[in-house]
Amino acid sequence: MRLISMQNSVPVSDDLHHQPAAKRARGSRKIAGRALVLLASLGFLLVLFIQILHTTGTSTAGFSDWRPILIAYPVWAVAFGIGQVLTRGERGQRALFLLPAVFFTVAVVIFPTIFGIYIASLDWNLSSIEGPRFSGFDNVRGMLNDTYYWNALGNMVFYTAAVLGEYAIAFGLALLLSAEIRARKFFRVVFLLPMMLSPVAVSWMIGKSLMEYRFGPAATLARYLGWDNPAFFASPWMARFSIQAMDAWVSIPFIMIILLAGLQAMPKEVQEAAKVDGANGWQSFWHVTFPIMLPVSITVLIIRIIFKLKLADLVINVTAGGPGGATDTVSSFIYRVYRDRSNVGYGTALAMVYLLMIIVLLTVLLRLSKRWTQKIV
Amino acid sequence: MVKQQEHDQHPAMHPSRRTVLKSAAGAAALGTSGALGAFSELAFAQANLRAEITKIPGVGKGAPTDADWQKVGELCLGPTKASIKEGEFKGVELSFMGLNNQNLHNLLFRGFLKPWEAYTGARISWIDLAQADYNPRLQQAIATGTVDFDILEMGAPFEGDVCGKGLASEMPDWVKKQIDVDDYVDYLKPPVGTWNGKTYRVTIDGDCHNFNYRTDIFSDPTLAKAWKDAGNSTDWGVPKTWQQVQAVTKFLKGKKIKNQNAFGYLDAPKPWGGFGFYFLGSRASAYAKHPDDKAWLFDIDTMKPRINNPAWVRAIQDVIDALPFEPADQLNADPNTTGFQQFLAGIGSMIPWWGDIGQVAKASDTSVIGDVVAFDILPGSDDVYNSKTGKWDKLSSGPNHAPNCAYLGWGVYVMARVNGDEKKHKAAWSAAAHLGGKDLSLWMVMYPSGFQAHRTSHFLYDEWVAAGYDRKYITSYLNSQLASYNHPNRAVEPRIPGIFQYYSIAEDELTKIFAGKVDAQTGANNIAAAWEKLTDQIGRERQIGLYKASLGV
Repeated sequence: MRLISMQNSVPVSDDLHHQPAAKRARGSRKIAGRALVLLASLGFLLVLFIQILHTTGTSTAGFSDWRPILIAYPVWAVAFGIGQVLTRGERGQRALFLLPAVFFTVAVVIFPTIFGIYIASLDWNLSSIEGPRFSGFDNVRGMLNDTYYWNALGNMVFYTAAVLGEYAIAFGLALLLSAEIRARKFFRVVFLLPMMLSPVAVSWMIGKSLMEYRFGPAATLARYLGWDNPAFFASPWMARFSIQAMDAWVSIPFIMIILLAGLQAMPKEVQEAAKVDGANGWQSFWHVTFPIMLPVSITVLIIRIIFKLKLADLVINVTAGGPGGATDTVSSFIYRVYRDRSNVGYGTALAMVYLLMIIVLLTVLLRLSKRWTQKIV
Repeated sequence: MVKQQEHDQHPAMHPSRRTVLKSAAGAAALGTSGALGAFSELAFAQANLRAEITKIPGVGKGAPTDADWQKVGELCLGPTKASIKEGEFKGVELSFMGLNNQNLHNLLFRGFLKPWEAYTGARISWIDLAQADYNPRLQQAIATGTVDFDILEMGAPFEGDVCGKGLASEMPDWVKKQIDVDDYVDYLKPPVGTWNGKTYRVTIDGDCHNFNYRTDIFSDPTLAKAWKDAGNSTDWGVPKTWQQVQAVTKFLKGKKIKNQNAFGYLDAPKPWGGFGFYFLGSRASAYAKHPDDKAWLFDIDTMKPRINNPAWVRAIQDVIDALPFEPADQLNADPNTTGFQQFLAGIGSMIPWWGDIGQVAKASDTSVIGDVVAFDILPGSDDVYNSKTGKWDKLSSGPNHAPNCAYLGWGVYVMARVNGDEKKHKAAWSAAAHLGGKDLSLWMVMYPSGFQAHRTSHFLYDEWVAAGYDRKYITSYLNSQLASYNHPNRAVEPRIPGIFQYYSIAEDELTKIFAGKVDAQTGANNIAAAWEKLTDQIGRERQIGLYKASLGV
């Protein structure tokens, strides 16, 4: 067989190496392969069908749990792989490199997403004795009238807009750290430290200690500066700004380090040319550095927005969404619905809608940014 | 094992001089009735055992260690040995799910049960959960039919979810006898721990909110003078009603005590995973819990929420009115803040809390109020709302008191999945009975364990003093609890499924009210609407039935 001879021929000649891969399997093997895939698929579907009937109470035959289906899936996957090799020969073998990743993605991403959509259509409170009930779009309709959800979304607009502020500060720091300053390496490491801290640690160290009203050094300093009642989390806007400040402290280093990498990759000649042409500092930044950095900036902003939309830990720990929902985020609200109230169906529906919103927002952002970056480049 | 048996016999045969003196009165009484004999030996043995275990390691002699827990567990094995043969449960494997809060709960249970495992031959595997993970883990296990534990540490509010769904095993009579269920304080007796007339729970904890106040502030002559100067006709002293609490809180704003800003009552407006609602409940119970009515949170026959009735709205309004007179950042204070960062640190003069404050105030290095704190039942109200007539009643007996028996404490439950296996069933119940044993429980309520007094026998003050407690302090502390537990008008937790969901929703709306976004009545109406929706989602008819069962009507 050609395949075997290929494996035995050492070293492989260039001719062989560049052979087109379309080594097709023989007819009988093709049939065997197809039969194997068909049988395995039928077997898998049959087991699945029996278990669905059993779970829905239509049939008494079935398994006590879904574990056999979990085992049937990889068995079917292996049979499918063998079937591919038998049917498609070498092309089938190539497919084997890809198939595990595909099956894995189907198992841990695509199936859970579809299952999540199904859960989102249920009226399912864990305390309900009847268990889950199909309710169609009731959860989404409920969401439309849920003032807490819309309030949290409104807050997300503020938090997301604040990313621009974080970006501006990070850009300034990146410019400083890319300049020829003393102890540059030391500062680079120091400025990165907040990023390495867990937001939960930050919420305790800063939100609940440093900014603590009674003994926190930040509150003491504020009193010294003339603020009588330095309560960082008692009024809505102050609380919102305080949460944002903490999140910014953790995240600015991330933006900064990406921008710094971009600045260092920037050709020095362009800056020098600008200088020769008589541009001052601001002009060379605004007309040269900033436009060149735009693709990096857009990338880092989009990554940062994705992270920002998931903001929850700081809020849950420091303010629990208060005062009066002023600092609530969509994620922290979903956390309460799902965890404190065991409202699985509604919580999943909220998360699914939010996922859709994020996908749409990011698609739009990416398209817009593509136009901008293309114009510049 | 021999060594242990000798140890058990020793105190019975050779009572110490001290114990003899301590028990002299009781012994004399028995002697005159002619019952002195084997019974008195038992009494001596038990008194001696109690005195012995409560000295391990000794109050004020550092935190108990695993070795101490094991020692206590071993000394308290007597009742187990009386009903179980050595090695009887060899080969039995049990799974125990509980908490690991503050490195207590399950960690203590491990130590207590080690000698039990060694004696009976059973083996226990542990599922440790943080408080925040507990509810979701339990609910998911119930909802998905994946109960993977045989013994469960659980709070009474979850009984609706577990016992109401037939997931718990009914307590055998021999266990009731072994743990002496008649010794429980009144409010922990049935219906608590029971469901549809069947007993499920080995009680290891008792819970109520008591009133913690500062003695120095309420005996301060300067403040007393200022109080009179302000035109008050009453004497300066510890408030007995919520009306007085409000007046004192408003008066103390801007006053100084020991050169520090004085504050009155401390509210906890920030949500706390549902538990914060209990603190509004403590403010509301005297207004809302009428002596002629067992219910105070929902109407019994319809589950119509009472949260928006005039009594609850008045309590909410009290918080709104008091907040400007409390510390400036009070809006961001949850009960953990009011209890541990404010009151124990010397800020504020009155808070409601569970017994933890009293346990920690004396023992912890972080507390600065150990010598100036005392305890009482929650304040009353001059009038109480009558839900049936829709009117405020003034009782002829004086102010209405309704101590808030919040949460009802932790218990140990055996799951129904052991019912099919007789040996396992007996083993699981034996382990639960060992943990809930009368003597072992005394040690648990005296030392840091996460549990507080819950048996009548826990209120023998001499035992506390002998263990190292200050008599005046412990008398005040225990009296406040005993009076709450046994109060005829106590407000008892509704043990219905999803009760924390109700509390959690209320907390969200309350934070909006306290932040000034909506007024008290509108906010309370919003809570009521959300509660109605939740009741429908969980199942109204069933909730009504379970609510009635939980109130024993």
